[in-house]
Amino acid sequence: MVSFDVVAEAGEARRGQLQINDRTLETPHLFPVINFYGGGNEGALFGGGVHRTIKEFLAHDNEVTGGEDYSDLFNGVMTSISSLADYGIREKKLEWYLDNEIREWECFSDYDGMIFADSGGYKILKQGGLEGEDFEKDIDQDKALDIQLDLGPDIVVNLDHPIHPDDEFEERIEKMEQTAVNAARFAERRDEVDGACYLTVHGYYEAMLERSFDLIEDELAEPVPEAFDGIALGSLVPRKDNVEVLVEAVSDCKREMQQRGYEDLPLHVLGISGNAMPLLVAVGADTFDSASYLHQAINGKYCVNLFETVPIDDANFDACECRVCNDDFHRARMRNEMDDLYQKDILGSVAAHNLAVQQRELRKFRQLIAEGDKERVAEYLEEAVKDQKGFRKFAYQLINERINPYFEETDTTYA
Amino acid sequence: MHKTPQVNEVNEFIEIASDFEDPLEVIREALSNSYDAGATQVDISIEQDAEGRNTLIIKDDGHGMDEDDLSSFFDLGNSNKDDAIGYKGHGTKIYYKSDKIRVETVTDGTRIESVMDQPWAKLNNRELPTYSIEETESDEPSRTRIEVHGFRAGQGFDPRQLTYNKIEHYIKWKTIGGSTAWHFGDDFHEMDINVELSPTIDDTQDQIETDNRLQFPPENRHPEGEFVAEEMCKHYPPRELTVTLDDGRELTIEVVGMVGGKEARNKLPTYGKHSAQFGIWLAKDHIKVERYNDAIGADNEFFHFFFIANCQDLELSANREKIRNKSGDVYQAITDELNRYMTKVCQDSWYRNYIERRKLENKQRSIQSQGSSLEERLQHTKDQGGLSPSNPAEVIAALERYSANGSPETLEIADFRLDEEVNAIVDTDEGYKNAALQAKLSDFFENETPLTHIDRFICWKLGDRDALTKIERTSYLGKPIRFDFSNNEVTYGDENKKTIPVLELADKV
Ligand SMILES: [Zn+2]
Repeated sequence: MVSFDVVAEAGEARRGQLQINDRTLETPHLFPVINFYGGGNEGALFGGGVHRTIKEFLAHDNEVTGGEDYSDLFNGVMTSISSLADYGIREKKLEWYLDNEIREWECFSDYDGMIFADSGGYKILKQGGLEGEDFEKDIDQDKALDIQLDLGPDIVVNLDHPIHPDDEFEERIEKMEQTAVNAARFAERRDEVDGACYLTVHGYYEAMLERSFDLIEDELAEPVPEAFDGIALGSLVPRKDNVEVLVEAVSDCKREMQQRGYEDLPLHVLGISGNAMPLLVAVGADTFDSASYLHQAINGKYCVNLFETVPIDDANFDACECRVCNDDFHRARMRNEMDDLYQKDILGSVAAHNLAVQQRELRKFRQLIAEGDKERVAEYLEEAVKDQKGFRKFAYQLINERINPYFEETDTTYA
Repeated sequence: MHKTPQVNEVNEFIEIASDFEDPLEVIREALSNSYDAGATQVDISIEQDAEGRNTLIIKDDGHGMDEDDLSSFFDLGNSNKDDAIGYKGHGTKIYYKSDKIRVETVTDGTRIESVMDQPWAKLNNRELPTYSIEETESDEPSRTRIEVHGFRAGQGFDPRQLTYNKIEHYIKWKTIGGSTAWHFGDDFHEMDINVELSPTIDDTQDQIETDNRLQFPPENRHPEGEFVAEEMCKHYPPRELTVTLDDGRELTIEVVGMVGGKEARNKLPTYGKHSAQFGIWLAKDHIKVERYNDAIGADNEFFHFFFIANCQDLELSANREKIRNKSGDVYQAITDELNRYMTKVCQDSWYRNYIERRKLENKQRSIQSQGSSLEERLQHTKDQGGLSPSNPAEVIAALERYSANGSPETLEIADFRLDEEVNAIVDTDEGYKNAALQAKLSDFFENETPLTHIDRFICWKLGDRDALTKIERTSYLGKPIRFDFSNNEVTYGDENKKTIPVLELADKV
């Protein structure tokens, strides 16, 4: 059973509850990317370096968490089938990994968040399939879904063919058509999915998105809302640093959904997080996924807020309200003050902090939307971007045009 | 033992008075003093004697001065005013740069007349000037009249530059006469200002009658018509911005302004170079001091804007021309907040619409001029009786017509690059050939382009045959050349002679 209820709105931003079977997720929400299978064995949570440390946080390993419960950072996580072969494993191992659903492993049996299983379209298509040490598997829609289902997911999405900003027109159409064919095949098997099915669409502006939706509708045997429980907007990663493009894409996708009567479906934005998130929430995005919290940590970066990172050595833990930074155990780790620390332990705590910063911002935003006050949402956004010179322009434009005009037409009388 | 540093009073006076160069600054001081004295009317006249010396007379209906006030007026460093526009009591010392100062003031039933003779000459003789005081009883209402005779302008200042235009601009741009305080209410009182110049200075117009309020041109947000961007104008009403510094101090920035096209901006009392007058002004006491156009950002042009951002935490140089605390965190916080505010203005829908409108109208204007240039070209073409190539692209058109009319050989353009010396590759019965396409063959040789890679010349006309013959008679790039007009050939070189056929299209199309 899947349901998505909008419980509050402020302008175009909305707060919702996504219910899948007996799990509930508050939106807007960020699904951190987790690599459940990192080449190792169950005793080592299947390995994966810093990825492993993150899994130790997720699985309440007291030696790593310092005894605190961090499960609120992982209410919903994203994992991709393409990551299964990231560590050059043998085919036997892949089969063993897929023998049990994630939550059937002893080590993950306590994990009670949602698992969003991505098809990994971009990576799989780029590599031509799934490639390990002794195998190469072509992946088509059916195979992708088989693997996704083996993970025991709550949300699955069709195998998509992401477009690229530099694609020629014909190339783009071809990709969209393939995505549409996959979506139709995916819809035929939806009875096998004990959870939510999301449909990927692609495009940077309305005309492209319109085409993407049209092509899919042409292939489908039934209306989109009957076949799918959510929309996932893809192909934005190459433009992740251009907030103007992101806002336009999400807001046009939203408009397209409204015109087609899909506005009750949740909208997921694939592969985007960080500073753009608040603006995308403001134009109607409901969920996100990203591995940036991890990549930042791996690159030695500590998030000060959604916009700024500093080298870990320069971090001021006192200035952060998150539980990671307020715990002497993690401070000691992040400062590399303990004996026999592995790099993954230091960076794991930093990644948990980075994730906490992003989740905290979305939590604040959820509260603001719950108040239903557009002005407060505008104020929050304005405060968040106030020192971001280039970014500010687009944020202010959005606030002015979509949330709360800075200078009302009637605003003429002098004091 | 402690010693007090000694102040050389004479030098102090000289230095302070020397800071002021421009007689207009006397007007600025006078207006501020009158305002601080609660005046509602101030009349300024500037007279000029036969030798070109100026006398300034300033009259106001303020509360007048008693003896103490008068001491402050003449003394250094003990202004009686708190929180007023005068600063450190320096302002009135500007009058010392003159031949005579006479003050007549009435307050509380007492009339005081005071005269200081030759202040500037005495100071320059290392002598402190003195002033007389004569008190009488009076039942007149309070008032003050100050005369400054023979004010010394700074070097290079020509009193003939004192025109009404210039003074009005100065009053509205640099003095309390251009104050934006009235937008913000508190403590503001209105003051009428009259300025009259003697006809020997400027007889082109009547006296200036204005007040202490800077007025923006009327709003005109959505004018109708084809070309209206220049008339468009929107006011951005007064806003108080507050910023909190790291130490907890709170700053207030009072900002008000307008955006408008050229015609709207021309209604402002500006004079001279407009580009130096628009943009974003930082102000203190609601009087503009310096511009900070960076607040608009590089994507916008400053001249559409006229904003005044007042902050009492700005500190000014003694002559009020510059902001003194630019390196501090106060200035940083003010400009940061102003940047944010101006970003909002630049994201205002009306402003964006105005800029779009302006762009569109410029396009339309250029289409109109394109239209008339096309008409000219059409006329020219008619005059020529049809095709008359003036550039290689038109030669291609002629070549096409030549081929279509059953030319004796195949000659088709396979590749064409306008900016290259050998600008075409042509497909011929003998295969691909490198060709130079020219409106006139003679143009090619004028440019001294080497012939090395040229297999064919295709031109509309041969052009200036005399010029070609001249080349033939000297040489071309150091080698002999021959133009055979009857066989349409160019031969070039000495031992390894090269023959290049020439196709002249003019008589074949
Ligand atoms: Zn933290």
